[in-house]
Amino acid sequence: MVVGLKSVLTAVASALALAAFCAFVPSSLAQQPSGAVKVQVITGLTGVKDKTSGNLSVEGGSLHFSHEQTKVDVAAASMEDVVTGADSQRVIHGTLGSTALLAAPYGSGRFLSLFRTKLETLTIKYHDSDGGLHGAVFTMPVGKVEEIKKELLAQGAHTSIPPEQAASAAPAAKEQKQ
Amino acid sequence: MRTILRGISTGMLALLTLAAGSALRAQEQKPAKMKASAIKVEMIHADEIKLPADFQVALYENLIQQLQKKGGFQHVYRQGDRNAENAPDLVVLQGTLRGFKKGSEELRQVTTVAGETSITIHCVFSDKNGKSLLERDVKGNVRFFGANLRATYDFAKKTAQIAHDNFSPTAGI
Repeated sequence: MVVGLKSVLTAVASALALAAFCAFVPSSLAQQPSGAVKVQVITGLTGVKDKTSGNLSVEGGSLHFSHEQTKVDVAAASMEDVVTGADSQRVIHGTLGSTALLAAPYGSGRFLSLFRTKLETLTIKYHDSDGGLHGAVFTMPVGKVEEIKKELLAQGAHTSIPPEQAASAAPAAKEQKQ
Repeated sequence: MRTILRGISTGMLALLTLAAGSALRAQEQKPAKMKASAIKVEMIHADEIKLPADFQVALYENLIQQLQKKGGFQHVYRQGDRNAENAPDLVVLQGTLRGFKKGSEELRQVTTVAGETSITIHCVFSDKNGKSLLERDVKGNVRFFGANLRATYDFAKKTAQIAHDNFSPTAGI
């Protein structure tokens, strides 16, 4: 009985240690060019598979995404809307997270789902050379998205929600929660 | 013993006849496909209900991906694409948001039963002149695994299947 309890405690402790490891390691190991932000393409960027991670920067009037050999540029002037948002994801996500959710004993996988990291989303709508409308959604660490939006707007992009309006809407939303 | 065997074989024969009959009836009931070689997808409209921008874009992009994958069309055009003007047998797909409930991934994973995300969209397939050819309400949802945006993928898959079942570039030839 004591041995059984010990093994359960060990499993839970290992899972928690793994969660803490995953939470802190990516940010410390992330190598990115100066000015670039580590992002994940959720959907929509032409020539890039969904859920691809890479670096995003705003240079020379374009939004520049790079992942290994893949490089995609979207002209800021072709963007008809740039919108920011907030989201969150499990600390241990992907296949490992799903496996942990199902396989961890005594429902501890569900407990691990409570450990989440906050994210920000950047959504853009832009037109290609034929006039076709495209959309792309990126997620990135907290605190970067407004800076990218401001740079894009300064370089000719349009938005349906100006930065001042977004800033005033955020505290209002917090007050509503309370 | 013989009587039992005869009874079993008669029963099996009757079952086979019934199955074949229902399959034939199903084929007869299936509507004839409409001829369409290309489709143009418009961005989802959300006039009365507020839809976050990331959901709107994910719905549009997933719909285009799924229609390219299994819609059965020769060309899938985007909203505003000038090449669509000259496409023969063009069908235009417009979607209007009818319902949206943003659930919680965290709640889904902790409780299993709560936190569902669901989107209901009224889809209208029309011809070049705006005449409606087919209208359906399609629901996309995510109940357990996946982020909230996965509901948009579910919607896109169902809509592409409807398009595949009702339109074909070779219909009527």
